[in-house]
Amino acid sequence: MIEVRKYSFLGLTAIRSSFAYLGEQLFGLVFLGVILFIFLQLWRATFAGAGAVKLGDLSLAQMIWYLAIAEGVVMSRPRISSEVDQDLRSGSLSVQLLRPLEYPLAKLASSFGERLVLFGLIAGTGCLLAFIFVGTIPFSLEGLGLFLLVLPVALLLDTIGFLMVGLSAFWFEDTTGLTLIYSRMTMILGGMLVPLELFPDFARPIVEWLPFSSVVYVPARLFVHPSFELFGGVIVRQGLSLLILSLIVFFVYRAGLKRIHSNGG
Amino acid sequence: MANVAVELEDLRKVFDFSVPTGFLRREHREVLAVDSISLKVLEGQSVAFIGPNGAGKSTTIKMLTGILHPSGGRATVLGKIPWLERGKLAFEIGAVFGQRSQLWLHLPPNDTFELLARIYNIPKLEFKKRRDELVERFKLEAFLETPVRKLSLGQRMRAEVAASLLHHPKVLFLDEPTIGLDVIARQELRDLVREWNVSQGLTVFLTSHDAGDIEHVSKRVIVINHGQIVLDDKVSAMRRAYIGSKILEVKFGTPPLSLEMRGVKILKRTEYALKLEVDTRIAPIESVMNAVLQLAPVADISIEDPPLEEVIAHIYGQEKVVA
Repeated sequence: MIEVRKYSFLGLTAIRSSFAYLGEQLFGLVFLGVILFIFLQLWRATFAGAGAVKLGDLSLAQMIWYLAIAEGVVMSRPRISSEVDQDLRSGSLSVQLLRPLEYPLAKLASSFGERLVLFGLIAGTGCLLAFIFVGTIPFSLEGLGLFLLVLPVALLLDTIGFLMVGLSAFWFEDTTGLTLIYSRMTMILGGMLVPLELFPDFARPIVEWLPFSSVVYVPARLFVHPSFELFGGVIVRQGLSLLILSLIVFFVYRAGLKRIHSNGG
Repeated sequence: MANVAVELEDLRKVFDFSVPTGFLRREHREVLAVDSISLKVLEGQSVAFIGPNGAGKSTTIKMLTGILHPSGGRATVLGKIPWLERGKLAFEIGAVFGQRSQLWLHLPPNDTFELLARIYNIPKLEFKKRRDELVERFKLEAFLETPVRKLSLGQRMRAEVAASLLHHPKVLFLDEPTIGLDVIARQELRDLVREWNVSQGLTVFLTSHDAGDIEHVSKRVIVINHGQIVLDDKVSAMRRAYIGSKILEVKFGTPPLSLEMRGVKILKRTEYALKLEVDTRIAPIESVMNAVLQLAPVADISIEDPPLEEVIAHIYGQEKVVA
């Protein structure tokens, strides 16, 4: 229990710290506005071209709100992989190992705290822009409840994924390339640009079971179109992804730490 | 007799790695970083652990803090084997690294203190008492609630050291704590560490390339080079006896005659003054003084030990010598 409180307080400290540099996100918010506007035009043309009121069971307004949440998840991507990379390269890891903290958990806690603030800011702005562009969509308390249940797991999953990429610095000279690939996979396979319903039939079952969809598609979809049926399957997939990614991080970190213990990093 | 805080016995570390020597061919190589070091540091001692870059001091410290596992020998810190009991040891040691901050840049020092209190499981009342004590002693009151990014380096380093003492560590590792500080901030920090060492019985393990740090913070100096201890003595003894040279500065009433004497080197000469380096093993200081008095009427004279930097540079340049 003491351990949980320790890492929770670390997360809270990260939240407090994040508020100090929120101004730096201004450029990102302008970028978000441009992206949402471009996609509004693209989806308008697509809906008109298909002569459909709904695509993948989502209306145009729902599609833009979906994009606002999905962008919120993707754009609040933590810097955890580059931080871990730097910690390993500069020897800071050795300093952090002197504290009674588990390094991966400490990194996760602070990145997660930081991310909550960023997500709130980006998704909040995204929702405001979506409201300005297309007006409101039907919301329900149950829907918001489901969204709030899957969102923390989605953000945590993504943070663990990037932690895993960062830990590859134990073996690789530079993890920038891997980070780029991982983030692009999250964007494309996670369903940021196109919801999974619009994926080809053969690809859909595969991407549904990849962790990326649990990160982006799931919270965005439940936010704009709540469904208890979808939620049931999501919980299982998120839980499995969380377990598998956590195990990978555990073993990767343990193997990396062995290298530090024998060769000092 | 004080307890032993740090003990090393034949501690060795060999780094092994492979280097590519051709297409799909690699060669296995070994580097001996620490070569059978043995030493004891008693509780409450303040020790400077110095050596040129690549001498093996960081490797030794990493083994003492449990980060690196040795290739041979044994070591204990406060009775614990660091690499087997790193988690427990973390509660009893503190560390300050001049080039790496543990304070949160965008938050005031007080927020980091509160976080550290949680990390080290310090009860609330005890934390407040300790923090107030540190705030007073380290004069942090004025900037306790100012974000760290807005502090001067001197203020930040005072807060860093205070943060590292929050959990009552028994041993404090200081790595280049005064790097980049101005003269006053450097002196303040040295005084604080020294005071804490004397008044609280804190064992200090200092690594620094700054002779001033070594001289003001530590009484004992251990020099390591090529993975071995080349000197282990009192700082004052090292300065006095190691090189055996003195610096003699003389001002004359009239221009002095020329001086040629074995063991005496003229460092600087002006019309009315001489600066000499005297190797006292060859030329006893009394005989040099007598010779100087014959050169011209003496207006002023001073005898000093050579600067500590020179002594250290001299030791670094030598192979293994007396301990």
